[in-house]
Amino acid sequence: MDILPIEKSGDMPQVGTGKAGSDRFGLTPGAVLRSVFREDRFFLVLSVFIGFFSGLAVVCFRFAIDWCRIHLLGSGATLSTSRMLLAPTLAGFVIAVLVIHVFPLATGSGVNQTKAALYIYNGYIPLRTAIGKFATAALAIGSGHSLGPEDPSLQIGASLASAMGRRLRLSRDRMRLIAPVGAAAGLAAAFNAPISAVLFVIEEVIGRWTAGILGSVVLSAVSSVVVMRWFLGSEPLFRIPVVKMERPSELIAYAVLGVVGGLASVAFSRGVASVRPRCKALPRWTQYFQPPLAGLLIGFIAVLGAPQVIGAGYEYIDEAMHGQFTWQMLAILAGLKIVATLLSFVSGTPGGMFAPTLFIGAMLGAAVGGAQHALLPHLNGSPGTYALVGMGVLFAGFLRAPMTSVFMVLEVSGNYSIIVPVIVANTFAYVISRALQPTAIFDVLTRQDGLELPSMEEQREEGILRVEDAMRSAENPVLDAEETLDRVLQRLDGKPTDVILVRLNPSGWSSVARHELEIMVSEGKGDLTLGSALATRQSPYLHPDQPLETALRYMDRWPLIPVVSRADFRTLEGVISQQDVLRKYGTSG
Amino acid sequence: MEASHEDRIGGIGARTDPGFYLTREPATLAMLLLLAVVSFLAVVGLSRIYHGQQQALGDRWFRRGLADLQGHQWERATSEFRTALLYSRDNYTYQLNLAGALLGLKRSNEAYAYLINLWEREPENGLVNLELARIAAQKGETEQALRYYHNAIYAIWPSNQEIARRDARLELVEFLLGIRANTQAQSELIALAANLPDDPSQHQRAGDLFLRAQDYEHALVEYRLTLRADRHNPSANAGAGVAAFELGRYPLAQRYLQVAVSANPSDAQAAEVLKTTELVLEMDPARRQISSEQRNRIVTEAFVVAGQRLKSCVAVGASTAAAAREPTQPTLTQRWATLQRQISERGLRRNPDLVEEAMDLVFEIERQTNSACASPTGKDLALLLLAKEHEGN
Repeated sequence: MDILPIEKSGDMPQVGTGKAGSDRFGLTPGAVLRSVFREDRFFLVLSVFIGFFSGLAVVCFRFAIDWCRIHLLGSGATLSTSRMLLAPTLAGFVIAVLVIHVFPLATGSGVNQTKAALYIYNGYIPLRTAIGKFATAALAIGSGHSLGPEDPSLQIGASLASAMGRRLRLSRDRMRLIAPVGAAAGLAAAFNAPISAVLFVIEEVIGRWTAGILGSVVLSAVSSVVVMRWFLGSEPLFRIPVVKMERPSELIAYAVLGVVGGLASVAFSRGVASVRPRCKALPRWTQYFQPPLAGLLIGFIAVLGAPQVIGAGYEYIDEAMHGQFTWQMLAILAGLKIVATLLSFVSGTPGGMFAPTLFIGAMLGAAVGGAQHALLPHLNGSPGTYALVGMGVLFAGFLRAPMTSVFMVLEVSGNYSIIVPVIVANTFAYVISRALQPTAIFDVLTRQDGLELPSMEEQREEGILRVEDAMRSAENPVLDAEETLDRVLQRLDGKPTDVILVRLNPSGWSSVARHELEIMVSEGKGDLTLGSALATRQSPYLHPDQPLETALRYMDRWPLIPVVSRADFRTLEGVISQQDVLRKYGTSG
Repeated sequence: MEASHEDRIGGIGARTDPGFYLTREPATLAMLLLLAVVSFLAVVGLSRIYHGQQQALGDRWFRRGLADLQGHQWERATSEFRTALLYSRDNYTYQLNLAGALLGLKRSNEAYAYLINLWEREPENGLVNLELARIAAQKGETEQALRYYHNAIYAIWPSNQEIARRDARLELVEFLLGIRANTQAQSELIALAANLPDDPSQHQRAGDLFLRAQDYEHALVEYRLTLRADRHNPSANAGAGVAAFELGRYPLAQRYLQVAVSANPSDAQAAEVLKTTELVLEMDPARRQISSEQRNRIVTEAFVVAGQRLKSCVAVGASTAAAAREPTQPTLTQRWATLQRQISERGLRRNPDLVEEAMDLVFEIERQTNSACASPTGKDLALLLLAKEHEGN
């Protein structure tokens, strides 16, 4: 909404925030403004602390995962058969007991819980959830369950932030935002990728961009990454291979990768979506045995020749990027990882989906690259490049975060020459995934849990009604400010018009009802011009491209609002009334 | 969520106090700062324990890897170095050794990925440059290989820098010889020879390389330096003999080769070159200290040998280049047949001017049959070598 010149705003019947604030706090509007301003500033500083504490928590989480791994699976890269079978099974049983009896909210990945905190619980996430998530996810990942540390880190960050917000008694608006701020910090530290974390939280959790939100999220993400790098070094998660794309024709291969990735994403999400409710519907006592059974089956997969599916698997992503596996083996590993992750996740074992998604994507990408190299040797893209692009493909197709998927690959690879293949492949994967699986996996999981959280993807795709959709051409007379009230009444004589629009000088609009004019004339003000009579009654105006809901804010005071051109505020494009708005909402369903 | 509504909204009643942020902000920040410091110190403590354990595990696996690397157990060494890197991902030495083990397994692409990371961290590291040069050489990427070899030659080496640099240059020379870049190899060898220590074996190796690079003059110099220490060194004598032979210094070649063959009769190559050398000396009518009878006999024999070579060449269907080029001119066969009547010891005695004419025709026959027919052997080879020498003169 364009507000008329500031010096006049005090006279205008604008939205009553200031007044309501004064009523609430018993302060002058200026004091309230200062208070709000200070809270804004305080929130930014607090974001840095949230990032700092989240970074520390994620560092400890990483320590815990590694300790669990060393003690449960052994310190060597080659695992013994007994450990591969026993560690995930026994750890699964302990996790089941902990989740059922001590930390019931620790189950799942953590992304939806953070969204629920934002949209349902006013930013509230119990600190116990963070502790439970920390312990159970570290045990699960360290013992070999096919899950990753990123989503739990996100939830740990959000939970810590929520606890801090409660302790500091922040306002409800701030409390709602504080969980995503912590989530960004947790994810950034886990991923060592602040931009991707910020984008993911904006794209998938908050769903909107404002300077205030962005500033807080960025500050927390950056400070958590700084802390994480302080303790764990700045090495990327994997060694980045030489990225090269020598011929535009290679884009065809990347498009094929996008198609394959899209189909794999659909298979993965349909698997999760169909098996999870069945597991949840089983009798309660079976929940004690679901995580151990999943662990045992993963152990079997590992023992039968694919130990790579155990744990997060970053070291194997690294190996795939450097051409250590044949393309057939890579394809098999991608398939087995889907199965292993499905088992771990649907059994209710706490842990994240990001790392498995990256693993599957990297394997698929390298497999497609390898197959292409075997079939079309003149296309000489390296397997590493395909693996990198593949990670983005699954991110776009499975997690349905298209922007994050592109920036994640750029941030991880540090090479912007990869952007064209990434965009091509991700677009194919995203479109195919959306076409075959209309609801994104996080939304599916939310609905299975009986919650109705806003779907960011659906919101992005939602059509928005604008003022131009409801406005009508100005049939009401438009008069100039120089005309006298007597003259105006004469002109209106015999016309059915109730409300007239007045074009004020030098700019601005006003409106007046016929009966108001008649009252003023009867009071002897017939010689006054419209401009002088309505000088203090400037009406708001709208532009055709503004959202229709904007018009509703003024309808209670102004029965008719002019819709003017952005190029010339004196040019009337149409008018809009409450009936017009309601009629449009009615017809659009 | 299990919390009560009051819990969930986090004490909303309290935050309606407008002065909260104005009055409590500094205290809150101070408290947060204190908490941050305490937490940070606690995590520093944990981190020390964690990193200590990681380092111990890394070292343990690295030592196992080193033992296996020395025993050429590439597969196991690779696995152990990988495990070591799990605990110290950034460790330069671990990565370098893993790259070495991967090269042992012929997984050069993977080794390259490690090495290029190491190179980016320390572009002046000699060993990394040398390994990268080897990989590039294996892949046939000549320019890259040359770049990394030169980097290695001028790089920093942890110990025995001079020896390491010399070895790197020697390896570069081998690479250049392998791709037949003899001129570049010669330049590198000249630089190498200028800095060689007074070690006969080093000079001998340089001589061998000069010989392969076809820089016979420098080869002879290096072999002579080797022979200063041991005059009877058979391989140095053989090398010097071959170098002298290639330079057309046949008496000198004969001398070296005789020593070489007598010291090592199983050296078939030296024996073969010696035989050719002796034939050259024997078939040379221009050699000093021979009588005119001997010279006439040599010319007569050379003429007969060339005639036989010409006949056998024509018999297998090859036309001489001269015949093909100048069909109106008499062919070599016609010229040989015309001259044959006059070439005898008596004829030469009567007309000594025929010696030069006969030898010119002999040399031309040998040259042209060499390009049109099979490579010459024995006396034909000796005559061809004399023809080349004659041409040079």
